[in-house]
Amino acid sequence: MGKSRISNNIRKLRFFHDEMTQQQLAEKVGVTRQTIIAMEQEKYSPSLELAFRIALVFGVPLDEVFSYDSGNESN
Amino acid sequence: MSFQQKNITVSLVNFVLILGFYLIRVIQMIQNENFTATNVFRLWGIVIGLAIIVTIIGTILTHIVSAIIQAIKTGEEDPKIEDFEDERDQLIDLRGTKVTYFVSSVGVFLSMLTFALGQPPLVMFTLLIFFGVLAQIVGDISRLYLYRRGF
Repeated sequence: MGKSRISNNIRKLRFFHDEMTQQQLAEKVGVTRQTIIAMEQEKYSPSLELAFRIALVFGVPLDEVFSYDSGNESN
Repeated sequence: MSFQQKNITVSLVNFVLILGFYLIRVIQMIQNENFTATNVFRLWGIVIGLAIIVTIIGTILTHIVSAIIQAIKTGEEDPKIEDFEDERDQLIDLRGTKVTYFVSSVGVFLSMLTFALGQPPLVMFTLLIFFGVLAQIVGDISRLYLYRRGF
């Protein structure tokens, strides 16, 4: 429970896209504002489809929005 | 608090009240020595009917109250409520349902166990509805927990 190992730059990307509001981003990707808030607080890891939609809105590759902390995982 | 959270909170309060009503009626029946099949099944009917009616009324009232609060906040005449379920809401609902089914299954097992251990069938039927309502309450609590803590 709590923070996931997937971190994101959604807040920063919103700021650099004319200070887009959480509501505007939520409407563009088809979720509620609460879900955007949960993602920014890293309390929710989105589905792959939603992650791609968010990257598409900002016009950047997926790995510029989301990153995965592998921790001590070995290959 | 999102619309879904408000809806779950209303449902939780409703089911706690229904469970309270059910327990009080059962205790009254035992005290008055009229714990009979007719009374128990009548109570079953009342509780199930009450749960359906209260759930419908609760959802409608949540819509109305949310719209009023939104109208006061934004000053819009036709306020927009975010009442659709996105992927996070659906996932939380699924996990809550899983918890509900688990508690319900344990409840059915315990109820049947009382019968197997020699208690009268009425005890089993009384416990069945008790665990049914309890499962709904625990499911709602787990949904609210997931909304608050994340996953």
